[in-house]
Amino acid sequence: MGGVRIVPRLAACGLALAALILIVGGVVFDQIAAAKDVPGSGAWWLYPFLLAAVLAPAVVGVLIAVQRPANPIGWILVLGALSLAAVLGAQPYAWAALEAHPESLSGGSWAALVSSLWPVFFAWPLAIVFVFPDGRLPSRRWRPYALFAAFSIALLVVLLVLSAKLESPFEDVANPIPARWPDALGFLRGPVWLAVFASLFVGTAAARRRYRSSEGIERLQMLWLAWAALLIPLGIVCFLAWGFVLGKPGDAVLAVMLATQAAVALAVGVAVTRYRLYDIDRLINRTLVYSAVTASLGLLFAAVSLLAGVVVGHGSTWVAAFAAVVAACAFGPLRRRAQAAVDWRFDRPRYDGLQRVRAFVDDVREGRREPEGVGTVLAAALRDPSAELLFRLPASEAYADAVSGVVGDPPVDGRAVTQVEHRGQEIALLLHAPALLDRPDLLRSVLTEASLAIEIARLRVEVRIQLAEVEESRSRVVQAGYEERRRLERDLHDGAQQRLVTLGIVLRRLQLSLPREAQILKPALNSAVDEVGHAIEDLRTIAAGVRPPRLDEGLAAALADLARAAPVPVEFEATHERLPPQVEAAAYFVACEAVTNAVKHASPSHVRIEAEIVDDALRLVVVDDGIGGATVAGGTGLIGLTDRVEAQGGTLLVYSPPGAGTRLEAEIPCGS
Amino acid sequence: MRIVIAEDTVLLREGLAGLLEDAGHEVVARVGDAEALLVVVAEHEPDLAVVDVRMPPDYDHEGMRAAADIRRDYPQTAVLVLSQHVETRYALELVATGGGFGYLLKERVLDVDDFLDAARRVCDGGSALDPEVVATLLAPQSHEDALRELTPREHEVLALMAEGRTNAAIAKRLWLTERTVETHVRSILGKLGLPTSGDDHRRVLAVLTYLRASAA
Repeated sequence: MGGVRIVPRLAACGLALAALILIVGGVVFDQIAAAKDVPGSGAWWLYPFLLAAVLAPAVVGVLIAVQRPANPIGWILVLGALSLAAVLGAQPYAWAALEAHPESLSGGSWAALVSSLWPVFFAWPLAIVFVFPDGRLPSRRWRPYALFAAFSIALLVVLLVLSAKLESPFEDVANPIPARWPDALGFLRGPVWLAVFASLFVGTAAARRRYRSSEGIERLQMLWLAWAALLIPLGIVCFLAWGFVLGKPGDAVLAVMLATQAAVALAVGVAVTRYRLYDIDRLINRTLVYSAVTASLGLLFAAVSLLAGVVVGHGSTWVAAFAAVVAACAFGPLRRRAQAAVDWRFDRPRYDGLQRVRAFVDDVREGRREPEGVGTVLAAALRDPSAELLFRLPASEAYADAVSGVVGDPPVDGRAVTQVEHRGQEIALLLHAPALLDRPDLLRSVLTEASLAIEIARLRVEVRIQLAEVEESRSRVVQAGYEERRRLERDLHDGAQQRLVTLGIVLRRLQLSLPREAQILKPALNSAVDEVGHAIEDLRTIAAGVRPPRLDEGLAAALADLARAAPVPVEFEATHERLPPQVEAAAYFVACEAVTNAVKHASPSHVRIEAEIVDDALRLVVVDDGIGGATVAGGTGLIGLTDRVEAQGGTLLVYSPPGAGTRLEAEIPCGS
Repeated sequence: MRIVIAEDTVLLREGLAGLLEDAGHEVVARVGDAEALLVVVAEHEPDLAVVDVRMPPDYDHEGMRAAADIRRDYPQTAVLVLSQHVETRYALELVATGGGFGYLLKERVLDVDDFLDAARRVCDGGSALDPEVVATLLAPQSHEDALRELTPREHEVLALMAEGRTNAAIAKRLWLTERTVETHVRSILGKLGLPTSGDDHRRVLAVLTYLRASAA
């Protein structure tokens, strides 16, 4: 879109304009010649054919050259139009200059010479059939044929330029070029004509060959040209047949040949616009939109000026300024309307797709839908069920989908990949059917329309993934805590406690084996063994505080011990179903700390514990009739309980109105 | 009594053996793991096996499983399991399914007379259940629990019964006459809905089966 491309665009437009001027000039001079009754002139019914034969390649050529200056097709068409216009326009000028007004118009014989060069009729269609649509020959094998065709046409032109006699209807006009072709080589004309004729068939064959070997969109594009190209040799056959049967070929034959010229150009045009070659449709789309917008704005400006002029008075600069402001304000909405209207009429998939995305973005804004649904909406808007949106996570440089989280690298499965950007940053990848690459405008506009929703969805997905990571990490920490408690409990029981028991046995045996005279030591040894027994008991209490071994028998068993050991009456009702060990541990410690808390801070007369399974979750309720007023933030150990419960993906609620006891409710999912 | 000992801590094992030998019993084999235990039981067919709950290789419940195997395959060999901590499930399962089985915390060894009495009891086809385990069993679990109907004295008697003691032993402990104990026992069995006939051992098993069912 930079300034670099403006030169080829201007050049293409200039050449096309020159062709238009030449052909219109030809029509004008034909009328001038007809006014003097010059024979052959004034065939007005031929004018549409003349104009069509020049305008068709000129318009199609400009469209392509503007959009794809590097592709030779556009230039071939524009130059073809120019050469057609020159040859066709030269004839009436030669009539006007040589016969109607020889005194005032000069260069008639030169014009006659140019009009004799009508083999250029075949030059541009031949070039097109060889190189359409990518500007290159179908393969290297076609190179000699293309060179042969170019050479034969060039040779024919040289022959015509250097021959003594000009072509019909200027057989009597002297060739203004002094150089002459040796008469001895006059026999060459026949074979060269034959060569040009053969080249036309070869060119047609090249186009048909390419049609057959191509597939998909290119095949459809070639279809039009392959058939249109056949018209040219057919036209010549027709022309020759006419010559043989009726003698001198007339204007009707010229009309047929002009029609074939227009047909080839139109076939190219249809192939290009209908099958979205070279993004021409976008150009046309824009042209239509901006023409409509410009016209509407002009009308609006005029209407407002007029109205305001009537109200305020004429000639006021304020009126003009007001109208300009109104027009400026109307530009945005008008452009959208016009774009929608044009899309609706000319590009239904794009219209529908954009409507769908806009409705979705509105829904997201109003909170009716979640932005994460944007992937599904895109698939529907692009009519590609295989489309999948992967959000890019900036922190981990990985990709994630809206459902299952991080997916790592995007899958390689034959789907095409298009990057989605928002404010210059990659925010997502769209995996989609490769066929969509043929509609880059559709893809681009739908993605642009959805980019805000994609960005919001991406941020939400990222936050969710990070939160999940944090939760997982907390769960691991709590889990490691449980493992550590279990290890410690085992060490206490299997290590220190065993040694104490051994020590006790040794003391006991010593006591029992005391000789009669040492019986005085007996009471001391007795109390030593008692001390060992107390030490063992203390140790067991400590170990049970670290992790009650009865947790191995289930939550109910562990809670029974808890209830039995508590200094206030604890009533409990617990499920006997076995749950995952970390769930049982979490529930036990929550109950344990809740009871400890109650005893410490609330002086209850009674505590009740309930543990039951509700909807695949363990529901633990601890109620006391103490003073209440406990808060999670109050430094009463409740925050630790919240951590334990939430680490298992559960929830903890505390109701503790002052003076009305405390009710603690934990729900811990049992799944997995 | 001819006794085998399975205990992985060597010092403790030797101490136990010494204690039992001091009391006049014959310790025919001392091993350190469950596998070796089964071998020596098969070889000596002892009167009693004293078994540690946790032994190599996994320190899980090897001793308990070996005890079950011995009770099944060698009915003439009684088993006394020693444990580091209270565990109800396996213990009750074994004690309640028949006599000749005991489960005690290790430190009970220090009360030598009581320990030897328990060993003697299981050898005679009776049972021995640690008071700590009994206490967990006798904690009422719900409002409807029939255990709530018992008087404090009956509660005491029931606890001693569950430990595997005979009426005579209970009477001695509680400074009661055997007749009074018998009255309490009948009352307890009535409240729990258990048959009042049978000898001491059978009554103990009935009580344990009841407690096991209500704890399950």
